[in-house]
Amino acid sequence: MSARPSRQARNVAGFFLALCAVGLFLPNYRLLVVNQHLFLAINVLALNFCLGLGGQISLAQGGLAGLGAYASVLAHAHFPQASAIIVPVTALAAFGLAAAVSRPMERLGEGFLAMATLGLSLIFTNLVLTMEPLTGGSAGMMVETRLILPWIGPLSGDRTFFFLFLGLLALGCWIFSALKNSRPGRALLACKDDPLAASSCGIDRPALRSLSFGLGGAFSAMAGMLHAHYGGFINPEQFSLELSLKALLFLVIGGPGNLLRPLLAVMVLETLMSGMQFLGEGRTLAHGLLLTAALLAGYRRTARPARNTVPASSVAEGHKPM
Amino acid sequence: MFIQYLAQIVNSGLALGSVYGLMAIGFALIFSSSRLINFAQGELLLIGGLTLQSLTLVLHLSPLAALTAAALFGFVLGHLLYATTLGVGIKASPLHQLMLTVAASLCWQGVAILAWGKNPIMLPQLLPLPPVRLGLLFLSRDTLTALVLAVASVVLLSLFLAHTRIGRAVRAVSMNPVAASLQGIRPGFCHALSFALAGILAAMAAMAIGPQTMLRYDMGLGLGLKGFVAATIGGYASVGRVFFGGVMLGLVEAALVLLLSGELKETVTYVLLIGLLVLAPGKREEARTA
Repeated sequence: MSARPSRQARNVAGFFLALCAVGLFLPNYRLLVVNQHLFLAINVLALNFCLGLGGQISLAQGGLAGLGAYASVLAHAHFPQASAIIVPVTALAAFGLAAAVSRPMERLGEGFLAMATLGLSLIFTNLVLTMEPLTGGSAGMMVETRLILPWIGPLSGDRTFFFLFLGLLALGCWIFSALKNSRPGRALLACKDDPLAASSCGIDRPALRSLSFGLGGAFSAMAGMLHAHYGGFINPEQFSLELSLKALLFLVIGGPGNLLRPLLAVMVLETLMSGMQFLGEGRTLAHGLLLTAALLAGYRRTARPARNTVPASSVAEGHKPM
Repeated sequence: MFIQYLAQIVNSGLALGSVYGLMAIGFALIFSSSRLINFAQGELLLIGGLTLQSLTLVLHLSPLAALTAAALFGFVLGHLLYATTLGVGIKASPLHQLMLTVAASLCWQGVAILAWGKNPIMLPQLLPLPPVRLGLLFLSRDTLTALVLAVASVVLLSLFLAHTRIGRAVRAVSMNPVAASLQGIRPGFCHALSFALAGILAAMAAMAIGPQTMLRYDMGLGLGLKGFVAATIGGYASVGRVFFGGVMLGLVEAALVLLLSGELKETVTYVLLIGLLVLAPGKREEARTA
């Protein structure tokens, strides 16, 4: 109890300091790629709220990020000066929407929840494609407006957005740690470890899980907003299923519930993967192999007996994993 | 006019529905035996179909030879998928197993890109059946082939599961792995077999869909998802019902395509999936393929 939290805090501080150094010293054009990794890292952290705390798998992060992006861009088109209102309202709306959709899905097992949330992501993509006059359809739309902060003014540039992404990631990490060590956080972990026992202890499982799911939705939407105004162009491809699947993959590789390891996994593996451009057509296979290797390495790590891990499944022993 | 529309819906709905039905049975088989949702199901179809297409370029395949080759590829591919996903992570958490199938799907897509490129590839019709007209109903050549392939697969699989020793072992493992292993059945063997059977079904689905729509490296996930929706409609409980779920989905989709746009069709399909999952969550807990 005494040594562990401080060590984790030191590690997190080290991680953010290293990223700050990257942001200060890397040339602007290289920050473009790092910002993409940070966008993914925020989505991984958002998913960590759902899966790491509440034990609920989600493949809707891409859709929620897209929702934030499109909502913000469309709202800014009408009220270009109102960033200070649009950003929090959109985040709040994403929180409400994610919390609302998670409630009826709360009882679904892992695989079925994955498919249902994946369905949500696909519904978002198809709706964007259908509402072509408003969203530009598959061709996407240019983002003419900038985020404007009171007393600071319009935000632009790779380095500015690097620190905005980093700030959002830091805020997410802080809320994640604070929530994990709070009473609702412990209740969420109880729901994750044994939903039935948690319910029988009087925990309102759907309400608590909708909180974690909602927080995840809000963070994904905020990441989407930053991404939209940073890139200057949005289309459904940027928020497709690939984003959701990648977020889940990196979280599983790093270990759901762990704060730092999934973020490290994103930064390291994504850097490696973006360095594989020279492989040309072979890079999809290389990405697949790299991710398989990382998953197997993560599995070997978690295979060591630990107090809080779910008993190794299952299939061979007749337990019901889903 | 209305009758013509209806005949068109039935024709294209049955063609698509047969493929969805085959994919759904593959999903249900793997899910029932190992409680794993296989994200790489669509890639089984893709690689099976593409391999068959390459084979047709080299050899002139008779219908029987094509069927045998497809079944053989499917069997081997299914085993390969098992060996690289559930086989290596049998004791891993369900989440790890799920993600291993996602990574496998990415790897197989990569193989498809490297070996066959990114352009769509047409699989020739290997089972040339004549088109049929039954009164107002019209079944095109592709539809009839897909339907015959699917119904034959369903009948054979049902007979295999119900009347053979190995088939009964697969069902026993899906009902209670511990009890089954106490009776001398190896659960690992049955899990592998369910993957292999899903591989055969996917290869049959490839033969059915290849001539209708071309085969492309990124088609796997979409088709796999449709298979999942169909399996959910069918309820995972019996081969026949799951197949019927696929046919229903195909018919509904065909009707929606004529009534609405393509994107709206997808939206309605996934709303249907979520509605089904949310409204009937208790049933599937006990569902087993029988």
